[in-house]
Parts: sequence; C-alpha cells; structure tokens
Amino acid sequence: MQYEQKHRDALVDMIDIHKYFGSVQVLRGIDFHVDRQEIVGLLGDNGAGKSTLIKVLTGFHSLTRGQIYFDGEAVNIYSPHDARELGIETVHQDLALVPLMSIARNFWLGQEPTYEIGPFRFLDKKMMARESIQALADVGIHIRDSEETVGTMSGGERQSIAIGRAVYFGKKLLILDEPTSALSVGETQKVLDYTIAAKEKGMSVIFITHNIRHVYEVADRFTIIERGHKLGDFYKSEVTENEVADMIVTGQIPERLRLYEEDAVGD
Amino acid sequence: MMQAYLDRKQEAANIGMMVTALMFGFAILGIAVAYMVAFWWMPLGDYVNIRLDDFNTYEYIVIIASLIYAAGCARTAIGLSSREKSSLRWSQWMYFITVMIGGAILLSVIIPVGLKFSLLLGQNIDLRAIINNDVGGLAPLALSIGESLISLSLLAAGLVALIALLVFLIPPLESLREMDGIRMIVAPPRRFVLAIIAVLAVGVIGVLIAGAYVVPLYPGTTTIRDAENHRLLAGLLFFLPGLFGYRLVRQVEEESDELRRAIALTPGKFIRAELAKSPSAGAIIGFIAIIMAFTMATDLFLEPSSVASFLSNIATKGVIAIGVTYLMISGEFDLSVGSILGVTALSFMNFMTHGAPIFGVMEPVPAALLAIFIAFILGAINGVLLISTRIPSFIVTLGTMLAFRAITLVAIAGGRILRYSDHHEALPVIGISNIVFLVLAVIGLLVVAFTAYRVLPVLYRGAMHAWSIQNDNGDFGTTGAIIRSVLLAVVLLILLALVIWLLAVLSYHGSAGGGEMVEVGYFDLFNGRVLSIGSEGDFVHVQIPRNANVRLAIIWWFSFVIVFHVILTSTSFGNSIFATGGNEGAARAQGVNVDRVKLQNFAIVAVLTGIAAIYETARNPGVDPNKGTGWELEVIAMTVIGGALLTGGYGSVVGSLLGALIFGMLQTGLVLVGIESRLFSGTIGVIIIVAVILNTFVRGARQN
Ligand SMILES: Nc1ncnc2c1ncn2[C@@H]1O[C@H](COP(=O)(O)OP(=O)(O)O)[C@@H](O)[C@H]1O
Ligand SMILES: [Mg+2]
Repeated sequence: MQYEQKHRDALVDMIDIHKYFGSVQVLRGIDFHVDRQEIVGLLGDNGAGKSTLIKVLTGFHSLTRGQIYFDGEAVNIYSPHDARELGIETVHQDLALVPLMSIARNFWLGQEPTYEIGPFRFLDKKMMARESIQALADVGIHIRDSEETVGTMSGGERQSIAIGRAVYFGKKLLILDEPTSALSVGETQKVLDYTIAAKEKGMSVIFITHNIRHVYEVADRFTIIERGHKLGDFYKSEVTENEVADMIVTGQIPERLRLYEEDAVGD
Repeated sequence: MMQAYLDRKQEAANIGMMVTALMFGFAILGIAVAYMVAFWWMPLGDYVNIRLDDFNTYEYIVIIASLIYAAGCARTAIGLSSREKSSLRWSQWMYFITVMIGGAILLSVIIPVGLKFSLLLGQNIDLRAIINNDVGGLAPLALSIGESLISLSLLAAGLVALIALLVFLIPPLESLREMDGIRMIVAPPRRFVLAIIAVLAVGVIGVLIAGAYVVPLYPGTTTIRDAENHRLLAGLLFFLPGLFGYRLVRQVEEESDELRRAIALTPGKFIRAELAKSPSAGAIIGFIAIIMAFTMATDLFLEPSSVASFLSNIATKGVIAIGVTYLMISGEFDLSVGSILGVTALSFMNFMTHGAPIFGVMEPVPAALLAIFIAFILGAINGVLLISTRIPSFIVTLGTMLAFRAITLVAIAGGRILRYSDHHEALPVIGISNIVFLVLAVIGLLVVAFTAYRVLPVLYRGAMHAWSIQNDNGDFGTTGAIIRSVLLAVVLLILLALVIWLLAVLSYHGSAGGGEMVEVGYFDLFNGRVLSIGSEGDFVHVQIPRNANVRLAIIWWFSFVIVFHVILTSTSFGNSIFATGGNEGAARAQGVNVDRVKLQNFAIVAVLTGIAAIYETARNPGVDPNKGTGWELEVIAMTVIGGALLTGGYGSVVGSLLGALIFGMLQTGLVLVGIESRLFSGTIGVIIIVAVILNTFVRGARQN
C-alpha cells in the first residue's frame, strides 16, 4: 500500500500505524505527527496504546502496517539503535535503566566512549564518570558517585537519571513516557522545565501521560488516543484543561470541539 | 540542656580513656605473642608447630607480624593519648585488625576441631571399639551423643563466627541515616548482632569445655589438644576486647560531630562498600575460610604437590566456567557444555587418528583448530535456536546436551576409548625455532615498558603527593608517605627484574644464532607438565618439585581469566553483557543488540569448552564417549559459588576463578582430611547454598 505524507513540514509523521501482537490489536490505524520545536502531549487512559505507539516509533516494536516519515523522509526503523541514529532519545515507562549497573554505565549504555590501544578499544571510564556527573548536573541532577548502583536509588532519582540521559543525548526528538509518575511535585516541575529547555534548543518533545495536569502547562498540542484509535488532535488554544481530562476519561469529543476536529482531519 | 551536654562530654572522655588504655593493652599483647613464639612456645596447630628448638618460616612470619602489630598499637595509643587529629581513625583500623586477627585465630580452632569431630562421627565403629576398651559400659554411648552435639555446635559456631564477622562490618542502622555520602545497605537490627555474639560465645565455651574434658579418642589423634586450647585463649584475648574497643570507638564517633568528621571512612564501611561492589565478595570470604580450614586440619593441604594437582585438575573446568559466567551474566544458561566438550575431544582425536573428510589424518595443531571450530558451530547452533525460537535456554540446551552427546555415543560405538597410542607409535613432537623465543622476549619487553610507562608515573605522583601533604595529615602522614614510597620501589624492582630476565632470555637465544630448533612435545604445548621455570643458569630458575604436577593449562587458565576479565569490565561488549542480563528491555531500548550479545556468548562458551577439551585430550590422549558428562552442572556450580546470579546481570570472571578454586580445594581437601569422597557432592551442595546466601547478603540492596 502507498502512503502519502500528510504533514510535509513535520519532524515525525506516522501514518495509519497498526500494531498487532498476535491476535491482540493494540494500534488500529493511528495517524500521529510532531512538528518541529513542538511539545506534543500524547494522552490516553491506561492501556490505550500510548507506549506501544512510541515503541513502534523508536524501533522497539516492529510495525504491523503503516509508514513513518522522519525529517521529511520515509524511514524504516528496525531497531532502537536506528532510532538513536536519527536523533530520537526516549525515556521508556518500563525500560529505563538496568538496576544492577552503575549510573555511569547506564548513562552511556549502547554508545560507550572508548579509547584505542592498538586494535583494541577500551571503555574510557574516566570520561564516562566525569561526563555523566557533569551532564546530569547540567540538567539539575546532582549525584555523588557515578559508580553508585542504580538499584539502590529511589524511583524519582532513577527517573531523573533516565531523563537526564535522554536530554543529554537527544538531538531532534525527545520522548518521555509517563516521566512524572514516580516524581514529587518539585521533581515534576523540573521535568517540565527540561521539556521547555529542550524545545528552546530546537528539539521536539513527545510527552506521554494519562494525567493532563502534568502536561497542560507546557504542551502546544494534545493528541488523545483511545483503545488503539486516535480521538483527535487539539491545540492548546482550542481546549481547556477540563475538556481534555473529560475526553481522556469518556473517550468522547464534546459537541463544541467536533468542528475543529473535522478541520484538522480535512487538511 | 547544658548539663546533658557536659555529661555527654564527660562520657566521651571516659570512653576515650578506655579506648586508649585498651590500645596500649593490645600493644603489650602483640609483644607477648612475639615473645612467646620466639622464646617459649606458642602452639599454632599441626602445621605450625612452633617450639624453641625448631624455628621455622612460620615462626618468623608470626614474630615479625606481631611486632609490627604491636608497634602499630603502641603508636596509635600514643597518638590517642596526645589527642592527635587522625589517631581516632587509626585506632578504629587497629581495633578492626585486632578483631580480624582474633576472629581468624578463633576460626583456626573452631574449624579443624569441628572437622575432626565430624570425621570421628563418620568412623563411628572403629572408634567405639577403642573407646570400649578404655571406658566400657554406657560411657561410649554418652560420649558419642556428647560428641555429636559438640561437633554440631562447633560447626555451627564456626559458621556463625563467619557471619558474625560479616555482620560486624555493618555499622548500626541509626548512624547510617546520618551518613551522607555513601548510601549503605540496610543493616540487620542490633538484636540480631547480639544474638549472634551470644551463640558464638556459647559455641566457644563449648570448645573450652570439650578441650578441657574430652580425652584423646583414638591413638595418634586427639580431638582437642593443648595446642588448640592455647590458641583458643589467644583468639579470645584478641577477639573480645578488640570487639569491645571497636564498639567504643564507634560510639565516640557517634557521640561527637567533630570526631566523626575526623573519621572519613570507617573500616567497616569501607570494606562493606568494597565488598558490595564486587560480585565475588562471598567467594573471596569462602575462599579464605576454606584455605584456613584445610590448612589447619591437615599438613598436606598446602604441600606443593596438592596445590599443583588440584590446580591442574580444575584448570579445564575453570576455563569453561569463564564462558559460563559470561553467558549467565547475559541471562542465559548452557547445559550442553559437557556434551560439547565430548564432541570436541572426540573430533580432535579422530582427526589425528582416522582423519577428517577433506584434510585426511591431521597434525595436532590443525586438528585442534578444526575441533575448536566444530565447538564454535555447536555453540552457534545453541544461540541460533534460542534466538529464533525464544524457547528458554534451559530447554534449548537440555535438548542439545542430549543431541550432542548422541554424536559421541554413535561415533565411538560400544563404549570404547579412542586412544592416540593405538594409531601412532610415539607422541607428536614439534620443533620450535628459537626466533619464536626471541620474538616473545621482545614482546615481553614491550609489555613491561608499556606497563612502566602507565603505572610508574601514577605511583610516583602518588608518593610525591603523600610527602607533600604529610604534615596536613598529622604524624601518620609520614607513615602513609613511606608506605607509598615503598610500594613505588617494589613495583620498580619487579619491573627491573622482569627486564633483566627478558634480556637474559634474549641474549641466550640470540647468541645461539637464528634457526636453532627447540624440540617440544606437541601435546605439551597445550597442556604439558611444567618441570621448572627458567633453566639451569638462567637469571630466574625455579625448580618445581618432582611430585608436583604443574600443568600448562593452569597458565592458560589464568591468562584467559585476565583477558576475559578485562573484556567484561572494560569494553562496551562487557557493558552490553551486563545490560542484556540485567534488564533486557532497557538494554534493547538503548540500542544494544541483545540477540547478538547472546549469540556471541553462546559461541564464547562453546569455544572455551572446545579449548578445554583440547587440554583434557592433550593431558590424556584418549577419549571415551562419556567424556564431560556431568560437567555442565559442576561448572554452573562454580559460577554460582563465584557470585554470578542465575537471573543474570551480575557476576564476574574473577568470581568464576574463585568458584573453581573453591571447588578444586574441596575436592582435594576432603580427600586429604579423610572424609569419604562420596560426601563430596553433598558438601558441594551445602557450599553452593551457603555461597548464594553469603552473596545475597553481601550484595544487599544492589539487587533490587
Ligand atoms: N508485547 C505485548 N503483547 C501483547 N499485548 C501487549 C504488549 N504490549 C502491550 N500490550 C497491550 O497493549 C495495550 C496497550 O498498552 P500500552 O501501549 O502499554 O498502553 P499505555 O501506554 O497507553 O498505557 C494493553 O492492553 C497491553 O496489554
Ligand atoms: Mg504506557
């Protein structure tokens, strides 16, 4: 099947995305796009398919059907490695860090800096320690010892490290999957601050949550999905926080908004 | 408020007095031990039987060590009384060392006595007859019941003592929360510590009573002799007051903020933190405990011949254990290594006797390479099956274990043994040009030069830095600087010695001119017997005792350990192995190709197993179809003892080395002690469980 790119200027344009796990149809034809320097709140109740959608985008799951355009080009993302190469960094909801490994090793996992002795390449442990401490400090996370094991840290600390890593390595797109679920009010505010900072640096952000309160303040647009379908895209100017919250719960678009919705679909 | 503050200050001062006085006491005790060993007697067991008339190496070591210890105590005590800045930290270390010494001496009583008692139990019948003659009546029954109880309580006390030492390393819970800086593992409540110390005390009293009242049980062996009683006393003298002093210092530390700041890192915390970092911590403890136990129980254990024989025996399994550790860290499992070993050994032998399809009858080296390649293929089959079917590796390799075994069983029908000597007159010999040795010597020199270039500047800077800050660190600063300088000198000397030796090798082979051939047995290259290190007239010349069977595989094994340790800890590949086993999803999400990592690890296990098969065959050029049966579980046992987690993500190559050593020591040691070899698997079973408990305990909060 041929797919037309719908949003020509978008950074990411996912078209007619289907994802089936055997007979379980988790995503049933979702169109999703992210513009440049845009913060998109990807919303939906638990089990709606938000994590699955971004796992498809980051190469963690293969597509059943559909097409992804990135930076204006049709791409095949076969593995998370491919996604990282494209400049996509992700903080997964359930797959953030390896608990038995140190902070520095987690931070650099998959792209460790090395130095060469003859034909052999060894981890540059000094650089790994120095840079990870520095990079995390830059995003406001102060760790004492980069050799500390992640498993001994609190949920909030771990989440912060995963976010710090994504912010440090992210080039074009930052994906945060329920980043605030384990965080205190203060830490949540910090995450929102990085999100805005990332946008100001020229990146786009996908911010996933099932709690609109966490994201309403920073997001430019909301995409709501419901049981594998997209309910709609709404710019912040169009909707109130309460309306979005209602849509997430009821899965219905209020009368007042249907008009906008048809416009959005029609373009 | 003020009064309370003054009270606490007074209390701290009192404690300070006690700490100082005790420290002086230990200085005197140290001198007393040296004196007793030198001029009187201080029985240290069968092996170290020290008397005035027969001075031996151990005596010198004990004398020098106790004098150094006494000097350290005295210096610390003086520092304490003149309120030197860092003296409190030093006293904490000294008390810590004291407790360790005491604990070690106590264990050296408890373990052999416990072993002897269990030995007696195992030989009930003969023994009873002897006792019958001596005592008669109901006494033997009473004795045997009493012995069983004592024996059990002693073994328990021994274990508890070990655990107590460990628990002791943990600072009390309350102080943990205050400690910013190092996040520590949750400590057990104090009640637990107290209970352990109480049980320990009961056990020790049991030994005392037993030692005083149990008579010699059969000719030539005594259960508890004077020697052990004296050692018990010495151990108690070190252990209990040492423990007391250590607790006191810790209390001072908790009392006063100022003092606490003076104590940067307490010994308990330091060691605990270091142990928690290392997956092989449990194995290290077990390793030391087992060496101590067997050394005390029998003179034969540290004989060069026993050491050589257990090392040679265990080297092949140790090589496989390295690979299995890799695989286990990446979260997988291989039950087929025993069968792969069988197939490789068989192919190797078959290529040399009957020949391979294309190559015909082969020389040993190409045959070995081809056989190892076959092992590689088998490993790749395991890996590909796992990745393509996603069936758990336990099932996949259970299947291939049986399937691969069928190859050897079918190829050598009737359970015969395929022997090299049935097909060839003599063992193969190879001539090696002395140019090879020249090249090796040059490479050695380059390695030494590189090491010197990397290590010496660091050590030199460290020493200079220590000298420059000696005054800031109080009087002990000088000691630290001296230690660093000595370290520098020692490393320098070792490097220098290596250079001279390598130059000697160079000139020896160089003067002989190129092209001269040195004849070496082909099989000896793989796993030959080492007769001496260097030869007559060389700079370094160590003659290995005639009865010591030192095999080349030991050296291969240790080299593999080093190489694979470096790969695991210092390359990205090693990092991905840990990540794959620790959290496969997270590893994949960060772009690690977990399937490739697993496939590579299956191949690594198989190739190492193949190499091990060559060693086995070279040592004994005959292959029976059941070669390697049961090895898979033994190797997994070694790996688990070495601290690897069955669930993946945790483990170390050094751990596998220690696990294999523990395994080998038990195998040899139990025989030497006289415990039936049938009990071996039972013992190993207990050791595995104890090891896993220890490892889990040490690992504490790392496992989340
Ligand atoms: N690997 C999988 N196999 C089968 N079903 C899955 C898998 N992953 C997710 N699902 C199902 O897909 C649905 C959506 O999951 P998810 O994307 O995690 O939802 P969300 O992130 O929106 O809460 C859930 O019902 C879940 O059970
Ligand atoms: Mg989710």
